Amino acid sequence: MAANPMTQFNVYRIGPEIKVGAFDISFTNASLFMIISSVAILLIFNLGSKKSSLLPNKIQLLAELSYTFVSKMISDTAGSKAKPYFAFIFSLFMFVLFCNMFGMIPYTFTVTSHIIVTFVLAAFIFIGVTVIGFMKHGFGYLKLFVPSGVPAVLLPLIVVIEIISYLSRPVSLSVRLFANMMAGHTMMKVFGGFVISLGIVGGWLPLSFSVALTGLEILVAFLQAYVFAILTCIYLNDALNLHH
Amino acid sequence: MPKDQFKTRLEIAKKRILKKNHHNKDDNPSSIGAAFKLSTELVAAVAVGTIIGFIFDQTFGTRPWFILIFFFVGVVAGITNVIRSAKNMQK
Repeated sequence: MAANPMTQFNVYRIGPEIKVGAFDISFTNASLFMIISSVAILLIFNLGSKKSSLLPNKIQLLAELSYTFVSKMISDTAGSKAKPYFAFIFSLFMFVLFCNMFGMIPYTFTVTSHIIVTFVLAAFIFIGVTVIGFMKHGFGYLKLFVPSGVPAVLLPLIVVIEIISYLSRPVSLSVRLFANMMAGHTMMKVFGGFVISLGIVGGWLPLSFSVALTGLEILVAFLQAYVFAILTCIYLNDALNLHH
Repeated sequence: MPKDQFKTRLEIAKKRILKKNHHNKDDNPSSIGAAFKLSTELVAAVAVGTIIGFIFDQTFGTRPWFILIFFFVGVVAGITNVIRSAKNMQK
């Protein structure tokens, strides 16, 4: 029978229950897949950078391509001042990308389809960018909320609007990733359920839909990691080069 | 190979690369990403505005005034966000 399409997002405990005070910090399937993606990233980049031959093998090619991809993205959007933050943005991009891609394998768990995971990532970026902004510009960073050339009568309203638009950054960043991943995976499960319930006679149409959706989902998985990283670059750019 | 013949071939090759790059600009993944970006930008600002209004109402006990005001301020902030990122894209 068709299973509930939302059961794929269930978080369950693996191994014993661990409690620290009121907090449950047990090892779950979500933590398992985060560890799997981190280990996969470490393995690929260790193997890829171990010996750099002139004619790269596949792993080295993968590592070098992703390096130049992210480095070009940072220099295009945030300029040369953002170079010191390369390591952070690169690991962020790789982590999101690998979590999304591991979720595409059947019977796995998609870590990024939970809003708490994406929101924590976005909140760290938000706090980090704000701290960098204040470190670079001091209280001058608050000028971000006061656009130039605004009549004094409108100023209180504009400042409130600017503050809300600044605070909405982590929300839009996290909701975008989470909603895309969750919607895509739910849709794939629903069409998979149609295949089962329509049987061998009518199941071919939803099956072809599922195949097309899988392709689309792989595109979305890459795209959302890309958007997540590029928006981090844009926010960083705002903090480093203060002008509106 | 004569020198000027090589030069014309180089010109043609350069032009071809330029054309290719220009073509790629239309359908690279970042344009789809930009479309995704705009939609959430609007919603997030409205949500944040409403939440701020809700918090103010809870603390001052003035329900529903702050929620009403900040909802509309959030809408305005969302529209500014969308316009701003659309302007960034055109650059």
